Amino acid sequence: MNQLIPPFDFERVFLAPWTQHFELTFWIVLMGFLVATACGLVGNYLILRRMALVGDAISHSILPGIAVAFLLANSRGTTPMFLGALAAGVATTILIEAIHKRSRVKQDAAIGIAFTSLFALGVILISLYASKVDLDQECVLYGEIGFVTPLTQPVVTVGGLTLGPVPVVRMAVVTLVTGLLIAMFYKELLVSSFDPALAFSLGINATVMHYALMCWLSVVVVSAFEAVGAILVIAMLILPGATAALLSQRLPVVLLLTVVNAALSATTGFHLATWLDCSIAGAMVVMAGVLFCLAWVFSPTQGLLPRQWQRTRTNTALSAPEWIH
Amino acid sequence: MTRSLKFALPVLFTLCAALASAHADRIGDLGEVTIREQALRFVSLQDPTVRYAVLGSVLLGITCGLLGSFIVVRKMALVGDALSHAVLPGVALGFLWHTSKDPLAIFIGATVAGLLGTVVVGLVQQTTRLKEDTALGMVLATFFAVGVCLMTMIQRLPTGNKSGLEKFLFGQAAAIGPDDLQLMAVVTGLTLLAVFVLYKEFLVTSFDEGFARASGFPARVIHYTLMLLLAGAVVIALQAVGVVLVSAMLITPAAAAYLLTDRMNRMLWLSAGFGMLAGVAGAFFSFLGPSLPTGPFMVLGATAVFGGAFFFGPRHGLVTRWWRQRSRAQRVQRENTLKSVYHVLEGRQFQGEGVSLRELAERRRETVEEARQQAAELCRHALATLHEEGNLIFLTPAGWQLACAIVRNHRLWELYLTNAAQIAADHVHEDAERIEHVLGEEVVRELERRLDYATQDPHGRPIPSWADLRQGAAPNVRPDDTVGYGSSI
Amino acid sequence: MNLPSPESASLPATPHINCGSPGEVSSLEVHDLTVAYQKKPVLWGIDLAVPPGRLVGIVGPNGAGKSTLIKAAMGMLPLSSGWVKVFGQPVRKSLRRIGYVPQRESVDWDFPVSVMDVVLMGRYGQLGLLRRPRKRDREIARECLDKVKMLPYANRQISNLSGGQQQRVFLARALAQESDLYFMDEPFAGVDAATETAIITLLHELRDRGKTLLVVHHDLPTARDYFDTLLLLNMRVVAFGDTDKVFTHDLLQKTYGGRLTILSEVAHVVGQRGGSAKVP
Repeated sequence: MNQLIPPFDFERVFLAPWTQHFELTFWIVLMGFLVATACGLVGNYLILRRMALVGDAISHSILPGIAVAFLLANSRGTTPMFLGALAAGVATTILIEAIHKRSRVKQDAAIGIAFTSLFALGVILISLYASKVDLDQECVLYGEIGFVTPLTQPVVTVGGLTLGPVPVVRMAVVTLVTGLLIAMFYKELLVSSFDPALAFSLGINATVMHYALMCWLSVVVVSAFEAVGAILVIAMLILPGATAALLSQRLPVVLLLTVVNAALSATTGFHLATWLDCSIAGAMVVMAGVLFCLAWVFSPTQGLLPRQWQRTRTNTALSAPEWIH
Repeated sequence: MTRSLKFALPVLFTLCAALASAHADRIGDLGEVTIREQALRFVSLQDPTVRYAVLGSVLLGITCGLLGSFIVVRKMALVGDALSHAVLPGVALGFLWHTSKDPLAIFIGATVAGLLGTVVVGLVQQTTRLKEDTALGMVLATFFAVGVCLMTMIQRLPTGNKSGLEKFLFGQAAAIGPDDLQLMAVVTGLTLLAVFVLYKEFLVTSFDEGFARASGFPARVIHYTLMLLLAGAVVIALQAVGVVLVSAMLITPAAAAYLLTDRMNRMLWLSAGFGMLAGVAGAFFSFLGPSLPTGPFMVLGATAVFGGAFFFGPRHGLVTRWWRQRSRAQRVQRENTLKSVYHVLEGRQFQGEGVSLRELAERRRETVEEARQQAAELCRHALATLHEEGNLIFLTPAGWQLACAIVRNHRLWELYLTNAAQIAADHVHEDAERIEHVLGEEVVRELERRLDYATQDPHGRPIPSWADLRQGAAPNVRPDDTVGYGSSI
Repeated sequence: MNLPSPESASLPATPHINCGSPGEVSSLEVHDLTVAYQKKPVLWGIDLAVPPGRLVGIVGPNGAGKSTLIKAAMGMLPLSSGWVKVFGQPVRKSLRRIGYVPQRESVDWDFPVSVMDVVLMGRYGQLGLLRRPRKRDREIARECLDKVKMLPYANRQISNLSGGQQQRVFLARALAQESDLYFMDEPFAGVDAATETAIITLLHELRDRGKTLLVVHHDLPTARDYFDTLLLLNMRVVAFGDTDKVFTHDLLQKTYGGRLTILSEVAHVVGQRGGSAKVP
């Protein structure tokens, strides 16, 4: 057990990464932050639409999409990867709907069947065509954020200005566009998430919004996939948004809190991983989970403790006058 | 992070770039001889590894199939998914217990972690505004992340044999040993026992929880019993299927069974059978090539079964339903043609010989060519014969009877609607057009009785009587053709 | 957590018509029952004593807590205050004497069971652990199916039934429980006229055999003809008693139209208790 958990050394855990390995640390934390922000922002809408597990499904099922795209395109460009992911995302959505609308299988089972099948297909494709090269299937699951630094990745330069490693720059663009899209279509997204019937009467096509959201989700997932892997993407999709939802009930505030949460979990997660010498992406998710637990217990409005405290103080939990309104 | 550049995407890139050349080599490696040898080795069951793998797959298929049925009808499919991810930290901790692969320690660790996960999901739902899907996704992801961290920490430990651990992600049936098998047998036995003994408790709480609680069943205890069994099933399936895809073994065979039957007990057995089938198929295919994971093949096997049920299930299958609809539409079409023939004949008081294609086409407001096709369709079903180079239609006795019956249905229904339901006579035709094809004999008799054996429809036309039907021959039978209906085409 | 009972809190006394002879053990006795969802009370200070052999209609506007009342009475919801007794015993101990017809929408009708299976579930409560339904249970189930004229459908899967038929199946299941006290949640919702007549006949028959029935009913016009006793409910008991005495304009006004009246009364009480609550 002693070997498992290394002794805590403040110098090693908190200072050394920023002073000695700044190049490494900076890009990893930035990538973590970008992934958590983009996923968290999109994830908020998934939570609102009670589709959190559709996000789970898509983050698994883009795997065969990517595999097939590369098989066909024969290149490691960004475009085929995005196209493959988009196709897989839409295919998953359609498949889920086809199964539960055209048979009596309910939606939850339809989700389970669709994504496990597609994911299995992806794993088989990889294991069939990849055993010559040293491919580790686990990385599909939990990625490797440690390799996004300029040490191992080609660097993007625009007009002599060095921007950063390719995956990070790509993720940054996706995150920015995510923010822009949400700002542009804020009211459409809100209305169609809250009340599709109302959206229809306002001339907003809820189906189009649904598929657009799924498409964008696929894009976000595929760009995050590289860093955190298929399964931890789902964590980044749900945890920041769920934590924020416990702290506020107003959507703009929730979106803002999501970003703050992303920054916190990326930084603390990195240090946790440095201390324990474990998977960085995993540690970031663990920290996001810890933040959720903190919000769950201490949230001023909905936390367990404040509520308990309130209850004992007023004795009659029922006399709350809000009900009389 | 001692692993070399094991990085999903770049490897994929390289791999795909090199595919054109490397692919060929690979297929060469997996030459037919090797595949056949491996297949023979598998089928002959002489290799103990194969025997363990097959037996293990069968056991896990049964367990997952049985429990999966309850999961599917309780609409808890995604709880199964969350649970299967949540066991990972337990697996890692259990592994740590002996720093080796001790099945029992892993089993206990994983079961505890899985149950803890379901409890947390319940707590989050009860104490926050978050909905079930969010709670599940969160617990799934957080527990899995803890598991990933633990596993990466264990992997850098200097001591111990850690080779077995990563098998838990995608599964390797060949890694099943006698120890594992014992454990699998125990869990399967317990599951069978529980399903047998607690069948009615599981059934009533799954169907109608409110009623079950009102009848004094401890719904929560039963729920957690099921969760406990489920955690056990997930754990024994882990080694062969892997954490990520275990939920498919729970959901997919059960969903396939759900499409095929209307009874819970039959669903249980079907689902267990499908699970077994998928399990053995997965073990077989992954055995064919070196380092092929078992889990994904099992899952695709289960998906194939589900696909079969989805498209070709006798009652709910998509293709089956489409086929049924098509043949029904064809029957309605035939019956409408017969009715038109009858109307033409009726129009000339059943005088004259046969019905020409032109008359039929005019009556149906279609082209002669369409009428010819319909007439040919009648001939194919021996309802009519064609004469005069295919221009004159004569009904066979069967055709005549059917035509009378349809017209009779139509007119009786019109009469019933106007008399009993007091709908205006000019509003009843449309409805009768639809109902005439589906009225059974019993209903017709009942209609007759209620209408006092009326002989005229609301438009004043005669309703063909039973005598007309039984007579079995059209009044316009060609004098020279009384014997051989259908003999001449 | 104990709220003072409404009577003690100088709320104008609600018309509480006593029915049944004194000294008789009530089928259902509810005392100071309060149920809240997330601090918001749904039922407040309910007092009720239902004598045996009554057919009670529970009537009130949407959100009045009608379904909540019967669920709370069966112990399916946590109570914020109060207690429930069934035949003089705590409800947990007398579940066997309770029959329940939930709302039809509360279950998944695609569930892979036959009509017979559903009715047999009514026998499960009496079977106990490890016991399977026996021949005798099957006979009872068949009799109950026959009573609701659903015997020809015994082997059908339940999704192939009309709304009225599904309701009859639920009723047959409740009959198979052979209980003394029945709770029914909107058994007339979405059923055809023939089923409605059949159900009400059956309910009268049960009542005449000495059973007690509490039926949530949402259709005011028919309530008067169907039930011999009415419970007018709107978060509180507005009135409880013989139909001809309770079915008055004033009381109904108070239940339905008088939503504001009740709220202001409650607000008044809350205000008088002082300190702990503020009234805007």
